[in-house]
Amino acid sequence: MKEIIRRLNAEYGFNLSEEEIELIAKQAEEADRMFQRLYEVDVSGIAPIMKVDKKGSDR
Amino acid sequence: MKELELESLSITDLAPRVKKKEISPVELTRLFLERIERWNPVLNAYLTLTSDQALAGARKAEKEIMRGKYRGPLHGMPISIKDNLATKGVRTTAGSKILAEWSPDFDATVVTRLREAGAIHLGKTNMHEWAGGGTTINPYYGATRNPWDTSRIPGGSSGGSAAAVAASMCLASIGTDNAGSVRNPAAMCGVVGLKPTYGRVSVFGGVPGTGGYSTNHFGIFTKTVKDCALVLQTIAGKDPRDPLSSDEPVSNYSKNIGKKIKGLKAGLIKGYFDELMIGETSGIFAQAVKQLKALGIKTEEISIPHIDLIPAVQNATSRVENVSDHDHYLRTRPRDFSPTLLYRHIHALTIPASTYVIAQRVRRLICQEFEEALRRVQLIVTPVSIPAPTIEECNRGFMEANGQKIRFQEARGSFWGLTTIPFNVTGLPALSVCCGSTSSGLPIGMQIVAGPFQEGLVFQVAHAYERAAEWYARRPPLP
Repeated sequence: MKEIIRRLNAEYGFNLSEEEIELIAKQAEEADRMFQRLYEVDVSGIAPIMKVDKKGSDR
Repeated sequence: MKELELESLSITDLAPRVKKKEISPVELTRLFLERIERWNPVLNAYLTLTSDQALAGARKAEKEIMRGKYRGPLHGMPISIKDNLATKGVRTTAGSKILAEWSPDFDATVVTRLREAGAIHLGKTNMHEWAGGGTTINPYYGATRNPWDTSRIPGGSSGGSAAAVAASMCLASIGTDNAGSVRNPAAMCGVVGLKPTYGRVSVFGGVPGTGGYSTNHFGIFTKTVKDCALVLQTIAGKDPRDPLSSDEPVSNYSKNIGKKIKGLKAGLIKGYFDELMIGETSGIFAQAVKQLKALGIKTEEISIPHIDLIPAVQNATSRVENVSDHDHYLRTRPRDFSPTLLYRHIHALTIPASTYVIAQRVRRLICQEFEEALRRVQLIVTPVSIPAPTIEECNRGFMEANGQKIRFQEARGSFWGLTTIPFNVTGLPALSVCCGSTSSGLPIGMQIVAGPFQEGLVFQVAHAYERAAEWYARRPPLP
């Protein structure tokens, strides 16, 4: 994760310190663990919701 | 009319008197401006006052009413607008340093509709930086304080709006709610806060980057449920400028207010909310449910199998959508975001596209689970928030409660947003109504939720509860 953030740092010019990179990486890793649980759900046949403007489950 | 009377009056009380020409909109507006002058230095609820514009609007309203051209219940009613809704010719900062001097050349649709209804715009309210948090401790414009205890936060991100309504510095306010930013401050300040169904209210003119496209809504703060219905009636409906606004017909939201609620069935969601009720919240919420039962509501436990994944869905969708709006400023002015927000945006840039898509798929699954539950019950009731923490507790990032350390910000998002995000993810209408008070006098909110576009039912139940419980009649003990 630190490498990804270093790449973003260079691309965007954030001028992050090493301490900041570590902090963001830690936060991102914590969130990533939470996101991994989404991949454990069986979503076969379920399309993403991209537009929410109607009644019912088709929203 | 004396200033003190303002504290006990609602739009519903005042509108007929304005219509009958017993109360002058100019006099009313002056009283509110005087009250703002007195309390805003303490509460910091307003960032920008539009006194001249308000008085000009009030004079116009008065002339029209005197000529017999009465526009409806909001005519001559002083209101405020959160500072992330575009207001023509009026500074719109979104609580940010980057937009400190931005003055839009257009109004948000909601602002236009309120103007057309004759409402008087008093000013723009303080908010969390870019609506990106729940405290309204703003690094650039200062913290808004809770009228019930000025050492405490009002919640957020629409904290200025909630504080302004609670302190009678306006009769209603418009906020935005991407993760609970209307309902949480409403609960912490003891006022009514509505997040309507997704698409019910146009979000055209909302400052980009102050919410995710999938989860953000505009919402309403008022003192009473009836007032909330009147404001929604004015701002709801399809807007050609917002492609995500719904063409579902707008109901008469006041029609069922006052009707009995006996026999309706409310669902209580198993598990998820238990760990979120800290301190006295649990007992207060239980008492509120008891009161609903006394009004004839039946309750049933319901299960939403994937509810624990809601924080993951909320964060994977709204953070990614939100950061896409900040790309330009992240490249050009990254240090003009507070460090907390900058780090969050950088984190959002690391979230893979596949995670975003899977989150949207799980989101549909969760919507289906709520839909299934709402076939068995007409409503869902939940607690909204913890009692408002102190500014000091927020600055250190945690509070002690239930024998444990409660961290306010975690991977799942803001701690008090966890109670409200289920209805950002699903888009269901959700209203916070005051349901009690802690032993130290801090308000607690209960959330009443119904199926899509059933705001009328939400109002009916919330009004019946509000009148029976009478928490709405309490006023903050301003120093």
